[in-house]
Amino acid sequence: MKDDDAAQAGTGGQAGAGSRRGLEVRDVVVLYRDDDGTTKAAVDGLDLDVAPGEVLALLGPSGSGKSSLLRAVAGLEPVAAGSITWDGTDLAGVPVHQRGIGLMFQDGQLFPHRDVAANVAFGLQMQRVPRAELARRVAELLRLVGLAGFGDRDVASLSGGERQRVALARSLAPRPRLLLLDEPLSALDRALRERLADDVRAALRATGTTALFVTHDHDEAFAVADRIAVMDLGRLLQVDPPARLWHRPTSQRVAEFLGYEAFVPAASPTGRALLDLVGKQGELLALGPGSLTRDQGPTTAPGPARSTAVPSPALTGTVVTAGFRRGVVELVVDVDGVGRVTLVEPSAGTHLDAPAPGTVVTLHARPEAIAVVGG
Amino acid sequence: MPPTTTPRPARPRGVTPRLAYRPGVAGRGVVWALVTAVPLVFLTVFFAYPVASIVLRGFAPDGAVDLTAFGEVFARPRTWRIIGLTFAQATVATAIAVVLGLPGAYLLYRCDFPGRTALRAFVIVPFVLPTVVVGVAFRSVLAPHGPLGFLGWDGTFAAVVAALVFFNYAVVVRTVGGFWAALDPRAEQAARALGAPPWRAFTSVTLPALTPAIASAAAIVFLFCATAFGVVLVLGGPRYGTVETEIWVQTTQFLDLPAAAVLSVVQLAVVAVALVVAGRARDRRERALQLRSAETAHPHRLALRGPDRRTGDVVAVAVTTAVGVLLLALPLGTVLVRSFRTRDGWGLGNYVALGTTGGPNALSVTVWEAALTSLRVAVDATLVAVVVGGLVALVVSRRPRGRAGRRAVRTLDAVFMLPLGVSAVTVGFGFLVALQRPFGLDLNLRDSLVLIPIAQAVVAIPLVVRTVLPVLRAIDTRLHEAAAVLGAAPGQVLRLVDWPLAARSLGLAVGLAFAVSLGEFGATAFLARPDQPTLPVVIFRLIGRPGADNLGMALAASVVLALLTATVMLLTERLRAGGRTTAAGEF
Repeated sequence: MKDDDAAQAGTGGQAGAGSRRGLEVRDVVVLYRDDDGTTKAAVDGLDLDVAPGEVLALLGPSGSGKSSLLRAVAGLEPVAAGSITWDGTDLAGVPVHQRGIGLMFQDGQLFPHRDVAANVAFGLQMQRVPRAELARRVAELLRLVGLAGFGDRDVASLSGGERQRVALARSLAPRPRLLLLDEPLSALDRALRERLADDVRAALRATGTTALFVTHDHDEAFAVADRIAVMDLGRLLQVDPPARLWHRPTSQRVAEFLGYEAFVPAASPTGRALLDLVGKQGELLALGPGSLTRDQGPTTAPGPARSTAVPSPALTGTVVTAGFRRGVVELVVDVDGVGRVTLVEPSAGTHLDAPAPGTVVTLHARPEAIAVVGG
Repeated sequence: MPPTTTPRPARPRGVTPRLAYRPGVAGRGVVWALVTAVPLVFLTVFFAYPVASIVLRGFAPDGAVDLTAFGEVFARPRTWRIIGLTFAQATVATAIAVVLGLPGAYLLYRCDFPGRTALRAFVIVPFVLPTVVVGVAFRSVLAPHGPLGFLGWDGTFAAVVAALVFFNYAVVVRTVGGFWAALDPRAEQAARALGAPPWRAFTSVTLPALTPAIASAAAIVFLFCATAFGVVLVLGGPRYGTVETEIWVQTTQFLDLPAAAVLSVVQLAVVAVALVVAGRARDRRERALQLRSAETAHPHRLALRGPDRRTGDVVAVAVTTAVGVLLLALPLGTVLVRSFRTRDGWGLGNYVALGTTGGPNALSVTVWEAALTSLRVAVDATLVAVVVGGLVALVVSRRPRGRAGRRAVRTLDAVFMLPLGVSAVTVGFGFLVALQRPFGLDLNLRDSLVLIPIAQAVVAIPLVVRTVLPVLRAIDTRLHEAAAVLGAAPGQVLRLVDWPLAARSLGLAVGLAFAVSLGEFGATAFLARPDQPTLPVVIFRLIGRPGADNLGMALAASVVLALLTATVMLLTERLRAGGRTTAAGEF
């Protein structure tokens, strides 16, 4: 993806970029009917703001109501209560096709009877863009998503990743004032997902598109978003920029969802010691992979936060399992007064050099890799 | 802890839904109401009203409920014999069709060999052949001087059953075959890896997995057999009949309309039961298909010799070859060969005679004139069937958002499915009873040629719906949503998404409706005017007349009719083949 192409694709006047207020979701309730006829609230009185030009990730476990919220914003799902406005204008009663809000589906939903170029051109045809302009814009977008020259390919002949690229180009083509992305990468395999997440972010940046990106994968959310909203059971738990979210989860539920494993009350002896070390106020400390290191000299373990371990009140724990994973050794240690925490250590050589289960190890805490919940 | 970190601005006041969009919504409602009304009114006038008239005539001939006609008809031993025969014929024919169809399904859908595509196309031909032609074909094979005359089956139960199997073999092969092709082969491979010999893996893994498809095919074959009319009338002679032929006999020969009405009510009940069973079986099959993994079997190359030889394959090839030659090719070949035999030896005499009205008192028009009438009627019938059936499929395939809308579609679905198993004879008889003075109006529709295409359309509509509806239903709702979020209005979504994807199946439906209409005999037999008969009516009249010349003409006319139908089907098969999307629905 070249920068000059990206910049070119971005010129053309973003409908949302100039407005001051973007998307405002207030007290929205979206119901869904189960097979047995009972009604449940998929989205339960939720408030959310997306500023113009911002990329917001909506992160949550499956069934948390993310997709329902997205579909309600697109106008595909009726809103039972509350309001959805764009730049102060209520969207209630505005049919889907007149909202100017794009939606990219998990599985692309490319039109099987149209080739790649005709798929990308669909939204432009709806806007009655003149033919020459249309062809230019389609070529430009295909270049932007790295599929230059794919225009006359049959969509059935594309790989999964290529299809999602076409779907992205198709969604961006009519310059939606807001683009909704519904787990656009979750159907792809891991390596492709990581690469494409960067490409999606670059394409959204290059076009200055305001976007709401739904995912259940943190890595994806952290890679793509300016801010991340964590959603569970139809409500928002926290909305923050990625780094703040990671270090300051507002609740144990958020911390658990982010991957923190052990929670220590600040009132406990271990908790007090750790809190002193971290140097912040709070009720609960959250430890995850990388929060602790083994007492075996200085290490630089890859983890969410890198810092050298500071001498700390010695913690001891018993090794539960040891395993090799993607270039690192992971030790699950049952730490006294803390609980089970995963230690991540660089793999030293061709044979697994890790303490056997049952070994008692001395541990040090890495203050910057310990989150204070609700702090 | 507030659920969000952003300050909450004051709620915008006085923001109401934009009024500009209201007319659009209302307008769309009007359009859908009209689209629903057309098939609803059509089916009310031309299906519900005639059927209600029959029922009324059966239960309350003089206005008050009077069951004497029922008592009288059911007191006749003849009635019970006919009902018994209907069930016996349908049951035996269904069982044989399934047993013979399974190897065919395996061969044509799980094996790969040169000519497979052509063979698949050949197998479907009998299904669309006019019933009268099939009757004539089996008669010429089984007649004392025919190739299988030594069996002595002419005019017997066996002859009727053989012809019914001939018709419905394709239904079993295609329904079961389509399912089999999508069956995950790994379950059978697992059984083999666990030490099961091939036959054991088949009976304990594959056969149970195929059950939903077999049940579905059997139910629909039973329905077709129980409503068979033309073949039974031609082959059964005076001794063998079904409820369908009996309605015709009572109406045209004994002029006993009350008895015919009672029998029609019986037939409606039989059809309703068969439909419910078929519907249940189809749902089970479709559910089973949905549970399918994406992994599908690659057909294995057929090898009858060498190390890859499988005993099962040899059996399948043997059975299918026997069926293909004896059951499918022989009757058709016999008609073709015999049509060239005249009193003076081999020649085109019978075809030349098609330009005449046959022997004394045989016909009132020439066969070519009848063929022209048939084509004209078929064009009209096809037009009506495709418009009405297409609208039914369109309405029933919608998935509206609102609860009321969804309930309305569900109700319409049930209402529109009612005529799906309609018996042609019931339609013809119903028209006869109901449309002399329709709704008390002084309008004698019966004497106009208008009723025949409409009756044929009523018979063909179920096929149109069954061809188009699965394709429309298979279009993912999210494809509509994708178009909508890209700015397509509902009308544009229909035009740019549904239409291109379903057009091919609609073309297929046009071909099917045309072929069915060309060969339609059950309803037409009641409605055809003596001075303007259709081709099947002429053929039936010719074989009812004595004389080798009349029989020769009937054979030649049958060849013409079969060629017309086969040409139509061949043209539409080309729609089925090729293209990016699969267009075919089920029967």
